[in-house]
Formats: sequence, structure tokens, C-alpha cells
Amino acid sequence: MDGFGFALKNAWLVPAIPFVSFAVVGLLIRPISRKAAGIVATAAIFASAVFACMLAWEYYRLYPPGAAHPAIVPWSMKWLAYQPGLTVNVGVLVDPISVLLMVVVTVVSALVHLYSIGYMHGDEGYGRFFTFLNLFTFSMLGLVVAPNIVQLYVCWELVGVTSFLLIGYYYQRPSAVAASKKAFIVTRFADMGFLIGILILGYYGYSFFGDLRGVIAPQVAASGAADLEAFDFAYLTHPDFLARLASPGVAIAGVSALTISMLLVFMGAAGKSAMFPLHIWLPDAMEGPTPVSALIHAATMVVAGVYLVARLMPAFAASGDALLVVAYIGALTCLFAAVIGITQDDIKRVLAFSTLSQIGYMMLALGVTTMSHPLGYTAGMFHLFTHAFFKALLFLAAGAVIHAVHSNEIWDMGGLARKMPVTHATFLAATLAIAGIFPLAGFFSKDEILASALGSHFYGIFAVALLVAGMTAFYMFRIYFVAFWGSARSHHAEDAHEAPAVMWVPLAVLALGSVVAGFVPMAAFVAIGEPLEHEGIDFAIAIPATLVALAGIGLAWFFYAGDTRRADRAVEVLGAAYRIVKQKFYIDEVYLFVTHQIIIRFISRPIAWFDRYVVDGGVNLSAWLTCMLGAGLRPLQTGQVQTYGVWYVGGALFVLLVLWAALA
Amino acid sequence: MTDLEALLTPGLKHWLLLGAVLFSIGLYGLLTRRNAVGILMAVEVMLNAAALNFVIFNHYGEPALVDGQVMAIFIIAVAAAEVVVGMAIFVALFRHRATIDVNRMDTMKD
Amino acid sequence: MITDTAAAVLFYLLGAAAIGLALAVVNSRRLLRAAIYLMAVLLASAGLYVMLRAYFLAGIQVLVYVGGIVVLIVFAVMLTRSADLLADKPSRLRQALGGVASIGFLVLTAAVFLTSAFPVGVGGPAPPSDTVAIGRRLLDAGPGGFVLPFEIVSLLLLAAVLGGIVVSRKTPPPDQPFTTGGDLPGEADTTRPLQQRPPHAERGAP
Repeated sequence: MDGFGFALKNAWLVPAIPFVSFAVVGLLIRPISRKAAGIVATAAIFASAVFACMLAWEYYRLYPPGAAHPAIVPWSMKWLAYQPGLTVNVGVLVDPISVLLMVVVTVVSALVHLYSIGYMHGDEGYGRFFTFLNLFTFSMLGLVVAPNIVQLYVCWELVGVTSFLLIGYYYQRPSAVAASKKAFIVTRFADMGFLIGILILGYYGYSFFGDLRGVIAPQVAASGAADLEAFDFAYLTHPDFLARLASPGVAIAGVSALTISMLLVFMGAAGKSAMFPLHIWLPDAMEGPTPVSALIHAATMVVAGVYLVARLMPAFAASGDALLVVAYIGALTCLFAAVIGITQDDIKRVLAFSTLSQIGYMMLALGVTTMSHPLGYTAGMFHLFTHAFFKALLFLAAGAVIHAVHSNEIWDMGGLARKMPVTHATFLAATLAIAGIFPLAGFFSKDEILASALGSHFYGIFAVALLVAGMTAFYMFRIYFVAFWGSARSHHAEDAHEAPAVMWVPLAVLALGSVVAGFVPMAAFVAIGEPLEHEGIDFAIAIPATLVALAGIGLAWFFYAGDTRRADRAVEVLGAAYRIVKQKFYIDEVYLFVTHQIIIRFISRPIAWFDRYVVDGGVNLSAWLTCMLGAGLRPLQTGQVQTYGVWYVGGALFVLLVLWAALA
Repeated sequence: MTDLEALLTPGLKHWLLLGAVLFSIGLYGLLTRRNAVGILMAVEVMLNAAALNFVIFNHYGEPALVDGQVMAIFIIAVAAAEVVVGMAIFVALFRHRATIDVNRMDTMKD
Repeated sequence: MITDTAAAVLFYLLGAAAIGLALAVVNSRRLLRAAIYLMAVLLASAGLYVMLRAYFLAGIQVLVYVGGIVVLIVFAVMLTRSADLLADKPSRLRQALGGVASIGFLVLTAAVFLTSAFPVGVGGPAPPSDTVAIGRRLLDAGPGGFVLPFEIVSLLLLAAVLGGIVVSRKTPPPDQPFTTGGDLPGEADTTRPLQQRPPHAERGAP
């Protein structure tokens, strides 16, 4: 642990500062001064962000870019010690992806906090909002720095809880309450699979632990961790363990335990990252305030699933089947969401589907990774990095627009370019970035994803990704043209004005990030497996991608810039198909049907009946029996002395009889 | 006939049996009577039987040692004291409740 | 000088009388009659004491028990108006239970002492004067003496008398140290000051 600078030695401060701030703001400051609550909460996250950047600086000074980047555990504490080897520690793991995520989460969270000071101004639950936002930041950081899978799971659930609390922030609105419940239930359902996967990994991990410990522990001792445990990622991703787990001897129903556990873990990741078919909660989660959507449902929480897959990449790679599933589901979600995003009228919904689509990109990038061609890993994390910037920016700018126009519908906006110049400029920057136009950030990350898909010979996925790039450009510029060009479409839009400084400063900072983030040579920082040779821009991919994006922009301009009658005609022509897509393929209705007609009717109701009549009935029966017994015995207590006298004499006689029989 | 004679001649056992019968009758009255004063009378019968028992043993044990008779005297004295207090209580109770039917004195059942 | 046969006959006579009268005491529904039957039982008992050569005790029995206690009981019957009440019929269940308990007791006790051998002789020399002997015993301060119980019994009697007075008196109101007026319910409430008492309430039967 020598050579560690201050930040590395105290890496636990990064999640600890938001936690302390949560407690202090929530318990002490919030009841006293709302304004102070917001300021303290924001300042705490800024401090944490500064610290995270220092941490990144120190880590990469210690392990220069381009060289090997081991995982180090500067702080760890025993938490649940069941048995040696089956102990759950709490700790902080520092390695390239955790550092990357720490920086992203803290910086974006800090900017969102700052923005919220303006956005949530005057709201009744102002203090509550910042308390929960702080708690969320802590949970996300705890997840990101988890050195073992149990701490990750605990923080995973915490993140789900805070997401629930924040989606349902406007709790007086039934739609918000329903949305928060939906989000929580769907992710909880997915987490059931995740938990089973953890249990399988833990079970086999512990049973192999005795043998493998001697081999693996010395190799990871240098990282400064406490004793190796069966839940640690260092153990779970070690090739020896994976080889044992994949062996036919531990197959479950013919499928290797490795594949099954990885598929179950991916189920959890798919729920949290809203992959098809567990995507239904994300569009509804837009009921929460816009800063929440920006932070949680764009930049941080939804990428937790991507992070999980990246963290367990060696395990996924060792099980080729699981990785294939990841790739295909990612690609399917990517396409599916983009198609729907074209038709939505609510600006936040469009952004939500766009998020779904971009996360699909990240997943598919991870899915096409192999240890010998690991470009997808780097590409996925790179896209996570850039996406955080421009998606958060898009949401925050949308928030400013919604604030000004008092409506979410794009058809109530229009002509905002002149009225809200800063918002317009930043929104345009973000839209260009997401469309993948050189030299903004999205161009580089998307290109790397396409390159990785092609490099691993997934031609179908490559084609889908390319197509979706065009669709992304189309639907993003659709809302850009409708909202910012043309004339005002509603009288609110006529009176719109620019947001206050506390709101557009974060927009500017994020816009800056969206522009320059692409120039980071990510492969030097985040890589896995075989080292990558990075030759700069691969024109064979860049040119088709840019052409497709420009085509998308052009199409959007054709339909939506200025006069939108062509768009309306197109919608008419497409008719029923357009309607189906606009209703999100009726998947919500299918879910509702399955839930109500099948699960509730055939499973929940009988179980509830059983619980009410058999279980409760049993308890009631015992109570009733006791009452009956009491009622039966009550006449004995007549209160009359003679009754007691009779009993006394009878009892005494009985005792005497017994004594006499015993002694005679 | 000598056996029957021997059986019938009052000896210790016969006397003791008599005392036991008297005591049992008093016990029956104690458990059965509804009037409180009636119960007290039954108790007097019981006490009398107990005193009789003492005197029996005094006679058949060592009459020179008049222990049994002294005990009987004490029993009589205590019985007197008990009757006094009992009467006082019944009178007060009757003043309070207008009845001394022990079946009505059932507030203990709450 | 009573011959054995006469002694036996007397025993059986007195015994039967005592038992019969005792049964009458516990079963009679009219309490005054029960009191008289009690007196008769105690007299029969005195007779039994004489047969057992406890002459002084027999005298005491008549004087104290019959002359004092039975009189007290008669007073109590009068004061609690129990002479009028004829409702002293216990329920069948109660009778049955009581009967079972007492007969059970009798059977058990009889079984115990009929099968035990008591290490006693039949009599010995009686003391020349049992009165003197009793007197001596009562004031004997040595071991086996009864002077302490004797003193305590006198205290007990004092306490009983005092207690009887305290329990059965009516509580006078604060400004009146002694009570005047009725002791039956339905009459004037003596716990309130004189002026507030309602005029003579009806002295009805309770």
C-alpha cells in the first residue's frame, strides 16, 4: 500500500461524504432550513466529485495509461462473518471501471444537485428531494466501489429504493405512485433472479474455496485486500474458479452452473438497465422530477446493469452462451426502443426510449467482447462515459424547456431557439453528440461500438447498430426541430424565457463534457484481456456511420423543420402500424393482462385465500378454542366462598388419598 | 356373640368414629348452607367435634396429664372469639347488602 | 359407677342423639330452630365429655358454649333478619358436591384411623380433681405448661370484642361522634350531616 497518495488511501471518503451528508441534511438541516439543505447537499457532492477526480488522477499516476491496471482495495472491513471463507466484507475497490464510474456519478450528480436548486425552488418537499438525492448518490457509489458481490447487491437494492422514493416524489399524483411501484416491482422481480444467481455463485464458490484459496489468495494479496472471501470479485472472476464452475461436474439440468448463474445475474442487470422485456418501467419513471430522470434514469442507475456485466466480464466471457444472450438482448432493446422513440410526443418519453436504446448499445458492446477481442468492453464503458454527459444534459435542458412551456408535449413548444439561447445551444450540442456527429463525444464512442461488433464478426448486430444510429439521429432531431425551430405552437411557448443561471450553468458544463469527452483515449484507461492496438479513426466504419446519421438528420429536417404537414401525412399513411408503435407495441397492456388475469387470479388469489382462511384461520381457531375453554371453565369461578370450599376439600382429599396410597 | 360384643363395646375407635362423623356433618353444613349464620353454626359443630377428639385422646392416653382438656378449653375460647367477630361481620354485611345469602356474595368472580 | 353395658348404651344413645341433632342443624331451613338444635348438640357433647371423665370441661361447655355462643348466634339471627328468610335451600348440585366431599372425608379419615394402631392404653388413673389439674396446667410456667397460650387467649378475646365493636358500628358523620338513627338500608343515610339528611325514610323490609 505504499506509493498510495492521500486520495487512494482514503478512497472510502468518496461514498462516505454523500452518506454523511444524507444523514445530516435529512435529520438535522432539513427541518430547519430548506435552502441550507439544498446548499449543503450540493456542496457535499461537489466535494465528493473533487475527491473522485483526485482519486482518478492518483490511480492513473500510479498505473499509467496503457500499462496494466490492477484492482486495489484500499479499505475493507469485516461485516458479516459467517465462516472463514464465507464472510461478507464492506470495502472500496479501485480499478479502472470503478474509478470511471465514480467520476461520472459524482460529477453528474453534483451538476444535477446544482440544477435542482433552481428547478425545485419553491417546491414543498425541497428538503426531502435533496435528502433522497444524496442517499441515491451514496448508494450508487457504494455499488460502484463494491469489492464483493454481496455489497454490490445491497447497494443495488438501495439504489432501487431511492429510485422508488424519487419517482414517487410527487406522491399526491396517482400516476407517479403507480410508476414508482411499477419500477420497484419490475426491478425487484429481476433482482430475484440476481439473488438466485448470487446464491449459486456463493454456493459453488464456497464449496471450491478450500481448494482454490491457496492458489488465488497470494495472487490477490498484493491488492491490499483483507483475506480473500468467496464473494469477492477477485475470486469470482479468477480463471481457475471459472474453469471449475464451468466443468460438467457441476452442471444443473445439463447446463453448466456458470452459464446459469451468469444468466440469472444478467436477469438482474436487465431489470435494472431496462432491457427488453423488463423495460416497461423506464418510460413511466419519467413521472419523477426532471433532475431525477437526468441523474437516475439516464446517467447512473440504469447503467448499473451495464456496470455489473462489465464487472463480471471474465465470468461472462468464460460462458459464451450468456454473453451471446447479453449481446442479442442489447441489440433487440436498442432497435425496439429506437422504433418506439420515433413516435412519442412527450419529450421526456422520447428521451427515455433514447436512453433504453443507448443502454442497448452498451450492452451489445459488452456482449460482443471476447477476451481475445476485448474492444467491446472498452467501447461499452466509453459509451457509458459519454452518454452520461449528453443524456444528462438532454434531460436537464428538457427540464428547462418544460419549466418554461409548462408542458411535456413537443407540440406545445416551438420557436424556443430565440427565446432560450443557452438551452438551445446546449441541447443542440447534446443532440449532435447523441447522433454521433464528429467531433462530438457520441461519434467516438458509437464508432468504437460498431468497430467492436464488426471485429468480433457479429454482422447482424453491426447492421442493427448502424440502422439504429440513423434512427437515433432521426428521432432526436425530430424533437429538436419541433421544439426549437418554427414558430411557437402554444401561447406558453410565446412567453418562454431563459432558465436562471443556477440551471443553465450545469447545462453548459455538461455541454462542454459532451464535446470534449470523446477525445479521451479510453482504451488506454479502461481495458481488459488482450491489449488493444488503437490506430485512430477507422474510416471504414466512421464514414458509413456518419452518412447514416446525416441521413437521419436530413429526414428529420424534411419532415419536421418548419411546416410539419408532411409528417402528419406520413403518420396517416402509416396508419395502424404507427398507432401500434406509438402504444409501445401494447406491451404494457400484455403485462397488465398477464398480471391481472393470470397471476392475480390464479396464483395470488388462492394464496391470499389460503393465508386468510387457513393460516389466519388456524390462529383464530386456537384463539377460539382458548376462549371456549375459558368460557367452559368460567362457571367454576362463582365468586362464592362455598364453591371454593368444595374445591378445597375435594383437592385436600385427593392429596390425602395420594399420600396415603404412597405411604401405606 | 363375644366377637360382636367386642366389636360393639365402645373403644377408642368407636369414639374416634363418632368424632369423625360429627366433623363430617359439620363440613357438609359448611359447604352447603346458604345463610352465613347457618355456616357459622356448622363451624361450631366442627369445632365441637375437634374438641371432642382431644378429650377422647386425653381419656385414652394419659388422663393424669389433662392436656386434652386444656386444649378443649382453648378451643372453646377461640370459638367464642370467632363467633363474636363473625357476628360483627355479618351484621355489617347485612347492613350493607340487605342479605347474608352467601350465594349472592360473588364479587370475587370478577 | 356405670357398668360397661350401661356405658355402652349411654354411648350409643348420646352418640346417636348428637349425630341426629347435628344433621338437623345443618339441614334445618329455619335458622332459629337450627340454633336450638345446635344447643342440643352441644349439650349432648357435654354428656359425652362426662362419659370421658372430663367433668370440669363439661361444665365449661354448657356455660360458655351453650350459654354464651348459642345466645350470640341467636342474636345474630335476629339482627340479620334471618329468621324470616326461608330461602335457605341449597341447590341439588351444591348438596351433592357437599355430600360427596364430606362423605369422602369421612371415609378417608375412618379408613386412616381404623387401620392405624394407636399406641395408647385404655385409660390410666384419672386425676383426683380434674379442675385442680386443669388449673395447675393453665398456670404452669414450666415446660408443657399452658400459661403463655392462656395469656394470649385473653388478649385474643379482648381483640375479638374490640374488633366486633369496630366492625359492626355505623360510621358517624364528621360532626357527630355518635350515631343515632337506623341501621337498615332504606333508612336515613348517616354519612351525611344532619341537616341534609332526608326526613325519616320508610322503614321497609329490605
